Amino acid sequence: MNLLAIERDAIVGNEFIENFDFAEVEEFIKNASANLFISHKFKNSNEILVQPRGGFPTYDKVFELYEEFEKVKVDVLPLTIDSNTRLNDYESARKMLKLSEESEMDMLNGYPLINHGYRTTRRMITHFDTPVSLRHGTPDARLLVEVALASGIFEIEGGPISYLLPYSKNFPLDKAFLYWKYVEKVCAKYSKLNLPINRESFGPLSATLQPPAIVLVIQILEMLLSLEEGVKSFSVSFSQTGSMNQDIVSSNVIKKLSRFYADKFGHDDATINLVYHQWMGAFPRDKNFSESLINTSTVIASIVGADKIITKTRDEAFGIPTKEANALTVANTKYTLKILKGIPKISDEEEEENLTNEVNEILEAVFNDKADTLWRKIFNSIKKGYIDIPFSPHIINNNEVITIRDKNFNIRILEKGKLPISKKSFDYEKSKIKLDKDRTVVDQIIDGIGIML
Amino acid sequence: MKVVTGVVGNDVHVVANRLIEISLKERGFEVFNLGVNTYLEEFIDAVVETRADVLLISSLNGEAEGWCRDLQSLKSNYDLKDVIFMIGGNLGVGEMNPAEIVPKFKDYGFDLVFHQVDLNEGLDVLEEYLGARR
Repeated sequence: MNLLAIERDAIVGNEFIENFDFAEVEEFIKNASANLFISHKFKNSNEILVQPRGGFPTYDKVFELYEEFEKVKVDVLPLTIDSNTRLNDYESARKMLKLSEESEMDMLNGYPLINHGYRTTRRMITHFDTPVSLRHGTPDARLLVEVALASGIFEIEGGPISYLLPYSKNFPLDKAFLYWKYVEKVCAKYSKLNLPINRESFGPLSATLQPPAIVLVIQILEMLLSLEEGVKSFSVSFSQTGSMNQDIVSSNVIKKLSRFYADKFGHDDATINLVYHQWMGAFPRDKNFSESLINTSTVIASIVGADKIITKTRDEAFGIPTKEANALTVANTKYTLKILKGIPKISDEEEEENLTNEVNEILEAVFNDKADTLWRKIFNSIKKGYIDIPFSPHIINNNEVITIRDKNFNIRILEKGKLPISKKSFDYEKSKIKLDKDRTVVDQIIDGIGIML
Repeated sequence: MKVVTGVVGNDVHVVANRLIEISLKERGFEVFNLGVNTYLEEFIDAVVETRADVLLISSLNGEAEGWCRDLQSLKSNYDLKDVIFMIGGNLGVGEMNPAEIVPKFKDYGFDLVFHQVDLNEGLDVLEEYLGARR
């Protein structure tokens, strides 16, 4: 038995798993319906796929949510996992699930997939015969992903950087790389049995004034880590920045550079998709304004030529949305996409050149690290502050980069910390910033965070 | 002036914490930021280790009270009488009356208490307080 097989046996030997049958799972995936594979849908659709967010503790409530989404012809179903499972605390998830099942109250903020198990969950997934995307935030997702794939969930979100720096204070980063390597290997292995399993990176990061250069660098690096293990279908993503121009610039550059680096590293057979997240920052409390913001996001997704859009709801400022509000967004988003045809191709050469340079400069510094493997190069680069995201709770993040919005709401780098960008690139950033001398910088940063309020 | 800061308890709200760090640096303080999810014992250790002048604890999730009750007894283990203890943020779950909550935290051993007060206003008061003590 090879090392991976030994590790997989140990992982599914967990006390919360009842008799994980690898042979049966392989047989299931080999014969699974093509409709369950988002990679198949990406290939055969000319439309932007619409995917909402959502997950509830009990099987019945998720089933009802999916029925609601089915009515509005959703393209991709979400399965959001609860916070205990994300921290591998399956015992707490078990207790809270039991309490949720016994009462009307939801005691978990998502679906505890390990406790439900793959045999039960697969019944629901195959019933709806629509691709499901796994949304979580787990640094050690080895067991979660085994159970998800066995359930028929053939898109896995996350990665060692994008699910760690924004989500955790002190989970060891080197372990996260190794645990995600396992996930990539398992996804790659199953991709050989039928259509490709799609992996997706989480571009919104901490969703607070994230500079596009760093977002793109992390997207490209997580893509390369995934492709080097044999994954053949990967989605890079980012969220609405607050500036329509910056969204367009980001999309043009990420499409160009993700393809370039995938090919450069010998993965020209891999498919790269682009995912756009509707506004991930603070939402207005006026629900009509929220709908206007969501609609604007949809228009931008259409302009940037995304392959998939992930939606928010009019309830965003108030908490977890009802299934009706959630389905309403899907219907509205699909309507807006339907009426937006023949959108002109827009580009901004100067901005695109600057962003391309910044991303290339940071990536070059990462690739030049002396470590022998890509994940170690990235690990070292994060430690050195070459990759540094604003507003990360993690102790390893360098926390020196400070960003601020310019007059047109573009996110600019005010302090570059240890980012290995050239003087020319940094001068360009600074030339766009016009600080108000009568107000503190912090007040201007706070304004930039709250532009949609 | 040295300031130790961070978010107390099991509270991962990082945005305000980073803004506090930037504001303090802008005002010329030397900042030791312990970040989110920090326990009171860790704050005290850092104050001793860095010989800080100010400990600025922040809290957003409303659970600060449970995490700060033992401040007096922890303080008594060290000679910290010259250190200014400050706490700010959202100091209670649900709607709280500042007239009640401020004296409560002062009893726990804080010199300056700010419940739902603007960051700059709180730091202005801190600087005045430091100036008056000199």
